[in-house]
Amino acid sequence: WRAPPGTRTLTPRFGPSKPMLAFRFLRALTLVHRTAANSSNAARSRRIQRAAFASMAYSAGPRRAWSRALLCRLHFHRARRRCAGRRRAAGVPRRPSTTGSPADGLRRLVPGGTGMDYCGLLEETADYIRCLSEQVKLMQSIVDSVGPGGR
Amino acid sequence: MEPGGSSGVGSGNSGTYTPEIAESLRFEEEIQSLIHQSFDGSSAAGGSFTALLGLPANQAVELLHHPGPGEPPASAASSSPTAGDLWRLRLGEHHAATDALRLPFGGSSTFVERAARFSVFATDDSPASSSGGGLSPGLKAEPPDSDSPPTLPAPAGRPRRPSKRKECEKSKAKAVAKKSKSAEENTSAVKPAAEENTSGDKLPYVHVRARRGQATDSHSLAERARREKINARMKLLQDLVPGCSKITGTALVLDEIINHVQSLQRQVEFLSMKLAAVNPRIDFSGLDHILSAECGPLAVGSGCGGGASGTAMWASDTAASTGGIRRMPPPQQIWHLDLVHPQQSSTVWENNGAAHPHFLLSPAISLVGYDPAGSVPLNSNQLKMEL
Repeated sequence: WRAPPGTRTLTPRFGPSKPMLAFRFLRALTLVHRTAANSSNAARSRRIQRAAFASMAYSAGPRRAWSRALLCRLHFHRARRRCAGRRRAAGVPRRPSTTGSPADGLRRLVPGGTGMDYCGLLEETADYIRCLSEQVKLMQSIVDSVGPGGR
Repeated sequence: MEPGGSSGVGSGNSGTYTPEIAESLRFEEEIQSLIHQSFDGSSAAGGSFTALLGLPANQAVELLHHPGPGEPPASAASSSPTAGDLWRLRLGEHHAATDALRLPFGGSSTFVERAARFSVFATDDSPASSSGGGLSPGLKAEPPDSDSPPTLPAPAGRPRRPSKRKECEKSKAKAVAKKSKSAEENTSAVKPAAEENTSGDKLPYVHVRARRGQATDSHSLAERARREKINARMKLLQDLVPGCSKITGTALVLDEIINHVQSLQRQVEFLSMKLAAVNPRIDFSGLDHILSAECGPLAVGSGCGGGASGTAMWASDTAASTGGIRRMPPPQQIWHLDLVHPQQSSTVWENNGAAHPHFLLSPAISLVGYDPAGSVPLNSNQLKMEL
């Protein structure tokens, strides 16, 4: 599914839908807690993190290349049982971009960034940043709403 | 592109000589014809002016560059707000003649347009060659002057005298050419045709506004459009990333963006650890609170409704794109699963008195996909449903 080509240039971007994001993520969260209450914290946190990314990608919609790539990656990792070498979580060490194009670091960070031209990469980065901030805000509010009783 | 009526050159971006020469000759003829139409009897003013315009166009324009006896200094010329005034100042004489000159010019727009362009070329090309070698330089020289009529004090501030002269020349020519024209916003190489100046222009020009001093072949224009796009997106990114507006330089901005994305991802990881540890008892009064805090007037029910319809929309979208064959069976499987465990879901969702419409539970829970055996049941079943 592609947006019509005339609208791709400098269109106002569709923001991430906050209610949908909250809805999905909370559902995923409750599910994780219910089904995996016995596993370790680390495993659960990994699962929650994946659920966060999944809900982000779903609420962003299939219009975005990064959301499609993110879902493909999640699906792939789940199918391959988390092949260790291919994990590209946060915290990839940033190499100085003296060789290659200056956008290489960004390409590694944004899902699906390697297959894009620079222009599309910038747009996807903007949307990705917006969705990430929404997700972070949501998670922070959840943590806050649990109250100071939580750790 | 419009076919060049005069010379038949279709591309209009090479600096071929002959079209301009032919152009200049015809220009001269037309000027002469027009002037002779309007000035039958030659007053002293008209006579000199006619003589002035009897010359070939480029020479006439050259004459215009040499300040007449009555011409005020350049500063005054720059301070005059309208280019029409500049006409008078440049000629330095015979305002009546100028006005009279305007009339026939105003009559035929195409001729005026060509006059404007050609004077532009003549002046602009003085370093390069004698007459009109550069269609492109003329073309690209025009746009900066489109905003210089309102900002004519600016030429005084410009460092280079020849360029100032050219700008004044062009702004005047353009004002003569199209007096009714409002200020065009064509400083960027956006596609609006150069023929916004006049309709029915027969000149073989590239119909894109080009900046001054830049090439106008199609490749560089496309490149320039692309660069504009990239710059616009970079600006948006800079606005998005806090503290990035002050940084100049693309590499630093990119580094800042990368830092921001990494910090956001780290925050997600950290918060997920926290959430895993905390194990929030998410009663849906809490859900109400969070959702209302996040999205204002949206009720939770409508939020869920939006969620369900949104997922339905996306399912249809992705199905449309991928032609998903698998789309039909998995929802039915999951719906079956849901029907198997309806009581579980309903109790979870309803025992806290949240106002969830019951019909929404089925699509919602079907997405969740009760598959306790799966390692990541949520993602997999969502994927099956929607991809």
